[in-house]
Amino acid sequence: MTVSAIEFSRLGPPKLRLYAMRCTACNQLSPWWEHHHCYKCGSDELVEEELSGRGELSNYTVVYYPPRDFLGQEPYVVGHITMDEGVLLPAPVVGVAPEDVEVGTRVRATLRRMKLGHEGDIYYSQKFVVDDEAAVPAA
Amino acid sequence: MRVGVLGVGKTPHKIQHNKSLRDLAVESSRLAMTDAGVEPSDIQALYVGNVGSVGFNYENSTGLMVAHHTGVVPAGAVRVEAACGTGAWALHLGCVAILSGLYDTVMVLGVEKMNDLATVEGTSIIAQAADSKEEYFSGLTFPSGVALSARKYMQTYGLTEEDLAHTSVKNHHYGARNPYAHLRFECTVEEVMRSAKVADPLKLYEVCPMTDASSALILCREEILRDQPDKPQVYVTATQMATGTWYAATDTLEDAHRLFAEPAGRAYAMAGIGPQDVDVAEIYNSFAIQEPLGIEGLGFAEPGKGWQGAADGSTWIDGKVAVNLSGGLLCKGHPLGATGATQAVDIVEQLRGTAPPDMQRPDSEIGISACRGGPGAVGAIHIYQRLEG
Amino acid sequence: MAEILRYGAYVPRHRAPLGEIQSFFGRPGRPRSKALATPSLDEDALTMAYEAAQDALSGGQRPGTLIAVSQSPPFRLRKLAATLARTLGLDGVTPLDVAGHGGSLLDGLALAEAIVGAGGEPVLVVASDHLVSYEERVCDTLSAGAATAFLVGADGGFARLGPAARASREVYDVWVLGTEPEPRYRLEVLFETYGAVSREALASLQALTERSTGEYAAVCPSQPHPQTLRGLGRAGIAAEQLEHTSFVGEIGNLGAASVGLALALGLDRAGEGDHLLALGYGGGEAIARDIAVTGPPAAIDAAGQMADAEAIDLSTYYRWTRGRQAEPH
Repeated sequence: MTVSAIEFSRLGPPKLRLYAMRCTACNQLSPWWEHHHCYKCGSDELVEEELSGRGELSNYTVVYYPPRDFLGQEPYVVGHITMDEGVLLPAPVVGVAPEDVEVGTRVRATLRRMKLGHEGDIYYSQKFVVDDEAAVPAA
Repeated sequence: MRVGVLGVGKTPHKIQHNKSLRDLAVESSRLAMTDAGVEPSDIQALYVGNVGSVGFNYENSTGLMVAHHTGVVPAGAVRVEAACGTGAWALHLGCVAILSGLYDTVMVLGVEKMNDLATVEGTSIIAQAADSKEEYFSGLTFPSGVALSARKYMQTYGLTEEDLAHTSVKNHHYGARNPYAHLRFECTVEEVMRSAKVADPLKLYEVCPMTDASSALILCREEILRDQPDKPQVYVTATQMATGTWYAATDTLEDAHRLFAEPAGRAYAMAGIGPQDVDVAEIYNSFAIQEPLGIEGLGFAEPGKGWQGAADGSTWIDGKVAVNLSGGLLCKGHPLGATGATQAVDIVEQLRGTAPPDMQRPDSEIGISACRGGPGAVGAIHIYQRLEG
Repeated sequence: MAEILRYGAYVPRHRAPLGEIQSFFGRPGRPRSKALATPSLDEDALTMAYEAAQDALSGGQRPGTLIAVSQSPPFRLRKLAATLARTLGLDGVTPLDVAGHGGSLLDGLALAEAIVGAGGEPVLVVASDHLVSYEERVCDTLSAGAATAFLVGADGGFARLGPAARASREVYDVWVLGTEPEPRYRLEVLFETYGAVSREALASLQALTERSTGEYAAVCPSQPHPQTLRGLGRAGIAAEQLEHTSFVGEIGNLGAASVGLALALGLDRAGEGDHLLALGYGGGEAIARDIAVTGPPAAIDAAGQMADAEAIDLSTYYRWTRGRQAEPH
């Protein structure tokens, strides 16, 4: 949706890197938006933790009717990625045909343009590409 | 608890370019008040369920606007919002108002006008009822968020897309018979499978249309309805609400089950019944997969088996419990703020015996409506009973 | 002393059909490039620079300065280098943007040389461009996109930045008026000037190094157009020296990243003892630099990356570039 330059200044910079929130009370790793309280134990003692960027596609869908900001990109893959650190994150998977991904595909994070704010700011964020360097399991 | 349902009313559910948000609200309110035999001046409080008027219609404060145009001024009015569970929340607040003893007669009204904007704009506004700042920022839409649940369900229980397609077939069978429904065509499993992909694995016939509609109920203290024995004696006998996660990323199948199972457990206890006593159910299904999940959450089937009733007949009109004889949201559409209220109206009509003949389950005594909202954020359970005498 | 420690490159996979673009606009003649390497809708100079930097930073050395060279940064008055540094997790790094021209990667390397020579920490020099021309102009400008990155340190590298020489003329070949977003160009001036100032710069370099132009294992030049490379023959450069480092006829004009990709291709194939000649050109200026390969390069197989190509159709090309085109003048 429309994003103002002020909101962009607030929400944009954290998306330049991939991180999650670690609860210092129960050690749970939660997605990056949980900085108010730990969804598991309720503690408010949470710290940012950088992620390696590597993970596995644990669920996905292929969107044929995108929201306005994604018009022209359909069909695109968007899914839940279980990062190697254990946390589940939502993100698009790009650079690959929808029929070439499956549950279990190894992916890695990269920086991409996500959408334009209505005051002319470019919102960058993390998208995922297939991890070509991932070890192929022995046949 | 017993809250009397004095009157109900609903507008047709479809694209209605010639009617505004307030036109729809006034229409359902008049139908409900006429059915109840009350005047606007009898309404002591108004609860208006509406989700997206700021986005869809560029207007806010829907409760106050509807109060003015329905003529209930000077009674108090407020807009209620809880994503797709809004209509059920308006109903809940109406019941709470009556049960508190502060009010004798209140109106519960749900209204949504989604079709003044183009579809692509509309879906962006619907996405605001999920976390569009963080999670849906990544290109998810509501259909694609639910699609992830569908894939999880199929994977967990080893099901195919054909297995899930039966739900749409059943809903469309009854939607075709519902004069108020948006979509009124029957379909086969093959046609469901061939319908256009929306968000893999969800297909067009497994996704609800964007609809303009309003529905309303007049609720009253138990004694008021008791004292009018010529009126159908239908009461709300339980109302229980719950929240769940705001994020699809933290919404597991167990969470989806719990979202209904916990408030349903409390509701059954409140009404003094069990799942086996339920004759008819309206289960939220803006996307087909939500019906099996809801059937399981309400205790009508074991986890992983909720889809079977549509295939083997046990959730059809003469099955163990008839689910979504209105055609469900798949055929009625999902006018966000109205849906929960429309579910209530449809159950009341079943219990009264006033639904059209080929979608009326005879001698229905107990009904349940289950509404949900957000990725997994709202659960709302209401139980209704027709009492003798 | 300044050495190349590691390098990286990112060439988008997608290839736009220049022949169809020409046909669409009714431009006669053979397309001057087989295809155009086209970044996708969600890529730009910043995102490609991020990818190119991955290999350059994979050795674990942390730079103290990040120099970004680009003709197409996403923003002006905001540094590409600063956002890139944040994205790479390089907090505290000094970010510098060098606008310059298509050969300004070599300006970046010269700056890096000065910084590490004065005792500074390594410098990451990134050249990244996503050129998009308006409508039929792309048939002339061969506008495409890619990114390259070079980590320069005082020592510990596999290739030393040797002597450099420059020559320049005041010409109007390809230029952007400050008040306009879209380049103007006179290709005939470009073809003439590229050859002439390159010859001058190479002659000056030869005087410094006492190494003749023909002795270099490979020449790694800026290449805004295939015609510019043909002019290098008269500068004493043999076809073999360009064999593995010319690509404009395959994937188009990569702007500031062109000389970077040429250098990466040259380094990938270089052996100990080889000398490479990097030749940057833009705006009437040629910059020539001798690069002495002292050890086996940390090769990245840039050629392999270029070969990983996927054709896109005309409608996809326009859907992806429409929002990036400037207004015509």
